[in-house]
Amino acid sequence: MILEALLAVTFAAALLVFAAPDEYAPKLAFGLSLLPIAGSLYLWSAFESGGNALTGGEIAFNTVVPWLEVAGYQLQWYVGLDGISLPLVILTTFLTSLAIVSAWTPIDERQSQFYGLMLLMEANLIGVFTALDFFLWFVFWEAVLVPMYFLIGIWGGPRRKYAAIKFFVYTNIASLVMFIGFMMLVIGLPVNSFGLPEITQSLAAGELGNFFWLPADTLALVAFAAMFIGFAVKVPVVPVHTWLPDAHVEAPTPVSVMLAGVLLKMGTYALLRFNYTMLPEQAQYFAVPIAIIAVVSVIYGAMLALAQEDLKRIVAYSSVSSMGYVLLGLVAFTEFGLGGATFQMIAHGLISGLMFMAVGVIYNATHTRLVGDMSGLADRMPIAVWILVAGAFAYMGLPLMAGFAGEFFIFVGSFGSTVLPYAPVFTAVAMFGIVIVAGYLLRAMQGTLFGPFNLETDYELDRAPIHDVAPLVALLAAIIVLGVVPSLFFDMIRDATVPLLELLGGGAP
Amino acid sequence: MVSASAYVPAIVLLPFVSFIVALFGRENLPKRGAYGGIAATAGSLLLSLWVLVSVRNGAAFQETYYTWATGAGAQDWTLTFGALIDPLSVLMLVIVSLVAMLVHIFSLGYMNDEDERDLPRYYAGLGLFTASMLGFVIADNLLMAFMFFELVGLCSYLLIGFHFREPGPPSAAKKAFLVTRFGDYFFLVGVVAVFTTFGTAAFAGAESFPALAEAALNGEATVWTPGGLEVSTWFTIVGLLILGGVIGKSAQFPLHTWLPDAMEGPTPVSALIHAATMVAAGVYLVARMYGFYVLSPTTMAIIAFVGGFTALFAATMGVVKRELKQVLAYSTISQYGYMMLALGSGGYVAAVFHLTTHAFFKALLFLGAGSVIIAMHHNEDMWDMGGLKDKLPVTYWTFLAGSLALAGIFPFAGFWSKDEILYEALIHGLDEPLILGAYVMGLLAVPVTAFYTFRMVFLTFHGEPRSSLARDPHPVRWNVKGPLSVLGILAVVTGGINLVPVQKVLNIEGIDYLHLWLDNHWGGIEGLSSHHYAELDPYSSQYLFGGEVPTVLAGAAASLGLAIGGLALAWVLYNVADPDEHTDKLGGLKELLYNNYYQDEFQVWVADNTQSVAGGADTFDQGVIDGVVNGVSSVSLLSSERIRRIQSGVVSNYALLLTLGLTTLLVVFGLIGGWF
Repeated sequence: MILEALLAVTFAAALLVFAAPDEYAPKLAFGLSLLPIAGSLYLWSAFESGGNALTGGEIAFNTVVPWLEVAGYQLQWYVGLDGISLPLVILTTFLTSLAIVSAWTPIDERQSQFYGLMLLMEANLIGVFTALDFFLWFVFWEAVLVPMYFLIGIWGGPRRKYAAIKFFVYTNIASLVMFIGFMMLVIGLPVNSFGLPEITQSLAAGELGNFFWLPADTLALVAFAAMFIGFAVKVPVVPVHTWLPDAHVEAPTPVSVMLAGVLLKMGTYALLRFNYTMLPEQAQYFAVPIAIIAVVSVIYGAMLALAQEDLKRIVAYSSVSSMGYVLLGLVAFTEFGLGGATFQMIAHGLISGLMFMAVGVIYNATHTRLVGDMSGLADRMPIAVWILVAGAFAYMGLPLMAGFAGEFFIFVGSFGSTVLPYAPVFTAVAMFGIVIVAGYLLRAMQGTLFGPFNLETDYELDRAPIHDVAPLVALLAAIIVLGVVPSLFFDMIRDATVPLLELLGGGAP
Repeated sequence: MVSASAYVPAIVLLPFVSFIVALFGRENLPKRGAYGGIAATAGSLLLSLWVLVSVRNGAAFQETYYTWATGAGAQDWTLTFGALIDPLSVLMLVIVSLVAMLVHIFSLGYMNDEDERDLPRYYAGLGLFTASMLGFVIADNLLMAFMFFELVGLCSYLLIGFHFREPGPPSAAKKAFLVTRFGDYFFLVGVVAVFTTFGTAAFAGAESFPALAEAALNGEATVWTPGGLEVSTWFTIVGLLILGGVIGKSAQFPLHTWLPDAMEGPTPVSALIHAATMVAAGVYLVARMYGFYVLSPTTMAIIAFVGGFTALFAATMGVVKRELKQVLAYSTISQYGYMMLALGSGGYVAAVFHLTTHAFFKALLFLGAGSVIIAMHHNEDMWDMGGLKDKLPVTYWTFLAGSLALAGIFPFAGFWSKDEILYEALIHGLDEPLILGAYVMGLLAVPVTAFYTFRMVFLTFHGEPRSSLARDPHPVRWNVKGPLSVLGILAVVTGGINLVPVQKVLNIEGIDYLHLWLDNHWGGIEGLSSHHYAELDPYSSQYLFGGEVPTVLAGAAASLGLAIGGLALAWVLYNVADPDEHTDKLGGLKELLYNNYYQDEFQVWVADNTQSVAGGADTFDQGVIDGVVNGVSSVSLLSSERIRRIQSGVVSNYALLLTLGLTTLLVVFGLIGGWF
């Protein structure tokens, strides 16, 4: 019942904050957001690693309650955790609290609604990462979009409407495609519930039948492709990425933090849970085109970041690049590849969160994000700037920070993959991203942070307030701890991803 | 007595603690962080010396301290941190901690006495730099080495860009990190390839990757290769990939361009980068995994050739520079070229020997230059100096000792080590034409080195003062003279650790201490001895004039003769009261050399073009990819005008558009997948 309690507390917190007066909302929201953190830390401490939840491994903290029956299918309240989802739940609760604090400075109107929506989004995100019944999962999955739509559409920048609608519709259509694909699959299976473990195990047992005139083999490929496209928009990968920079540029800082830090991980989490767990053979069939998409996302995304003059756009495009690595790890389908991909979700969540927050702190002070508008900021706001520098190096994959661990696991996992033809070539090309990322981040830092001080906008620059800097410090600390001790998460991730390899008998030499 | 092994981590952690203390202690610290740094590096030095003694008594060891991550199943690899303490690493520990300590002390004079701002940040950087390098030196596997290698790169970025309020240093710092990162990319691919091929990245032991590679070549073990590639070809590729990192960090052609720019950093930092930390890391890495490199004749030849070429190429540029530190920068590139030449031509001991002597005399020269720069109120142009000999006697005499060592004049330290490198390249080159070519380039660089070194000495210290600054220099204190004196003595005597020519010519046994030391004469780690490497390397020796002794004498005579020739030319041209810029007579050649063969322009061109490609990609992304999204949206906006009673507004337009787009994608996907 602990997961239900976690969800209930988070929803209740959201409602409380909605009801609170605007002047109390910021602090109240932060205080209440500590409860989910406490809950997720309790889950962590009580968690015992035991395989993958979908393939028949131990499901921690699980509850199954029959809900209603539709067309012969049993819908259930079915939640539980394994080593893949627990780190994401922890990331969600941790990042939401910090994002709430980072909103204190920039959000100065309709606070109770803003913070209420943030907590509502958190509750739905926890739902996405814990739900084990498809319908329950899909409800949470769609429900995440609603607060996000309003958060961008109300508190965003000048083109907020355009960005919010683009985000909402793009990802919603994608969900539709995914939904159709998944439904075709379910109809082809002799199951009478939407329980993800049942569906996975039925597929693994080779029970997939025909879908009307479609034979089972083709059905599996169509379902894989439909779900891949649906999730790919969420990740996002090239060429369905263009909603992301618009959404980021218009979104206020704390919303960008949540978007890059957690929402993008919904896409890769779902890819791992659905495509790569349920249909590993089809994944192998599509390995080359997907690896091409991954490599193009890494390199092309990085090149786009290199062309940007707006700090936030730089960080936004770099997400496309980093998530390409996650896709490469998935497609390699090896112990370190899958484990690294999951670890990279956490690492990127923390690092992109830090980068967006740090850029936000600069924007709060300077009211500009254009590289050409400022230089030498290190002279005026040293602490925020040096943390930004540290975050940038984390993004570049500096060893002993979380990003290096994630990327190295992916690279070392995918280089010798037997699932992916030409794996060494794909890996080596994707790895060139570590040079380009250094190029655009160093260029941006040299332009804005160093050199003689200059600011085009007319604002007095002072040291950033403590509540702006504190979340940065917390994130940096987490990044370093995970970089030095990746086994904190990697061990449980590994235990939950290794069973997937047995589905295919794949892996490295 | 407690075994030294328990204290090895402390060697790395002490400077790291000084970094943390300086980071959080800020301005309240004694001497704003300097004393903490000095104490930490002195502690590291003492512990290193203790470990040196214990290795001398046969206590070399390898120990794993920490498991960073573990794989499973087919990728059941453990990624660990550990120490490999053998004669090579302990020697390097002593060099690094000694130079780091002297640099800290010198910084009291160069930074504190000059009232620089932000000193805690400076000392934090120095502490982290030293700790990273020491961690790199003790690394017992390639992954750990890579990690600390990268941290060394970070520290160089922070320290080169220390004066971030000026435009030059941040730009130089960016360039240093980016160029070495380009090399490190290949290194990282190499690390990944090593894990995939061997399942381990350990340097030492029966299950280490050099040992497994040796076994695989002998057909005693099977390893993974991509696409069924020939084992020997694959090992050559892996070796070259890792070499990419070496070429970047050790500033070898064509990735040397960051090093002269790195002079934007404070001078003591230059001393640390050039003598003991960053640049030394590359060469040390090759020596550390030499057992792997000797297995591939192609890689060895490439190392030798790159080294020989860099030695000559960089030396020519040193001839025309106006600024003291620029001359030294090119000399560093050139000297590391010699070390690469030695490694590539089978002279493992010679390379380590030159690494050692160079560390001392180059640290000395940089600190000497720092002393001159203090005296000259931070003017670095040699044409504004002159006549500083009498005003700065300690600096002059120690700088002279360092210069004689750099020029390779008997009996200074550099003579012995450079002579041994050339000797090794010669005897192996007589058997292998490529190596002989590299030898010739190395030999040609000798007179050039002597010439630019003494052009620098004469312009700086001799003749008449050429500016008011030089007439009335700022005095320097003990904290400058002390480190200079220590290094000055070392630059004179370090050759004594390896008097091979004397041994060979006079037939005195046992005075080639470094050879014995690196050959595990007093104990070491199995498989990591110079003998073992010599058995594996692809070379055999040939001698001139029918014997070893005549070859030794002829080689030494040639290099010493050429060095004295170069020195003499510099003497004639520049040791006069009011010297002319004789290199102007070189005309267009001088322009070419002064502009570094337009190498930097080439790299700027590459950077600019990458930027325009990125710009093009951005236009494509906005115009085509997003344009399709928005374009179709506006088309459907028109149609929705007509049917707006049924459908309302933009949302549905997007919906229509995206459905179309995604269906197209699905079709494309199907076509690629081939299931239609």
